[in-house]
Amino acid sequence: MIPNDFKDSLTAALPIMVGYVFLGVPCGILAQQVGLDALQAFILSMVFYSGAGQFMIPNMWLAASPLTAIIASVTLVNSRQMLYSASLSRFCEGCSKRLSFLFAATVTDESFGVNLAKFDQGSWDVKRATMVNLLSELTWAVSNVIGVLLGSLLNLPTALASFAMTSIFLCLLFSQRATSSNIAAAVVAVLGVFVCKCVGLSGPAIFVGACAGIAAGIVTAWLKGVRA
Amino acid sequence: MALSMTDFLILLVACSLTILAFRTVPLMVLRGRELPVALSRALGYIPPAAFAALVANDLLSPDMFDAGLWPAAIPLIAALCVIPIAVRTKSLVWSIITGVGVYAVLLFVL
Repeated sequence: MIPNDFKDSLTAALPIMVGYVFLGVPCGILAQQVGLDALQAFILSMVFYSGAGQFMIPNMWLAASPLTAIIASVTLVNSRQMLYSASLSRFCEGCSKRLSFLFAATVTDESFGVNLAKFDQGSWDVKRATMVNLLSELTWAVSNVIGVLLGSLLNLPTALASFAMTSIFLCLLFSQRATSSNIAAAVVAVLGVFVCKCVGLSGPAIFVGACAGIAAGIVTAWLKGVRA
Repeated sequence: MALSMTDFLILLVACSLTILAFRTVPLMVLRGRELPVALSRALGYIPPAAFAALVANDLLSPDMFDAGLWPAAIPLIAALCVIPIAVRTKSLVWSIITGVGVYAVLLFVL
């Protein structure tokens, strides 16, 4: 990689990196509160590398969810990555298999957004996009480690630290297009989670609620199609 | 309650494998091809449904008012403050600053 390419990638990655410091430090603090050390947090951040997932694991663990419910819920939430993966596939023609795989394996919500915008502007390539991903990933991992180290000094209330993620989810939710089927999906998911909790199914509430929401979105779109 | 090393390893391996599959399989398989319309539409409902479920999980529970009105109201008020910022800026950073900032003020100052 020539220095100019690296500079392009760094410029593109900078807003993501700033975001990941804000998000990674509280995430590390939360990880520390369920007993993870700096090395565990670093490995989890580099291998798993999922902001939503790394907030969900300690949160659900603290809520006494069984491991299977945590894995199922995290997996459901992360299934959105398929969309990013599918939509980025068109830029990987003519790329080596190894580079395509590394690029695909390091995509997040934020780096997907930034790289897609760059690809659509033209003059962007998978090499520079992958460097954006890796810069973001390293920032995320280091911020998590800082959070773990700070967490043993600070005693930040878990509820406050985890509200960083609630804020992220709110932002991601209200960045969705306000189509009637998306709104139906969101409303039914909220109701589904609440109903699950009322009947004592708080562990799989996210998983079940989201599945109900997806079904509601499909049905709403189908009804609209039938009416039209 | 702390995660044991075994629990940590199970979560690390299982969650990493599923996300790795989601991240890589469609791209490696679909290079140059288009997704069927019906499938991509169904997958498109996952983000609004999952984020709404996560928000609801964080903010709502049947016993939320058991400790009184105020402890349940703090996250709800903070969430209401995040929404206009999220809609206007679409910025994760500003949403975190607003949410955690309002939450901290309500928790420590008022």
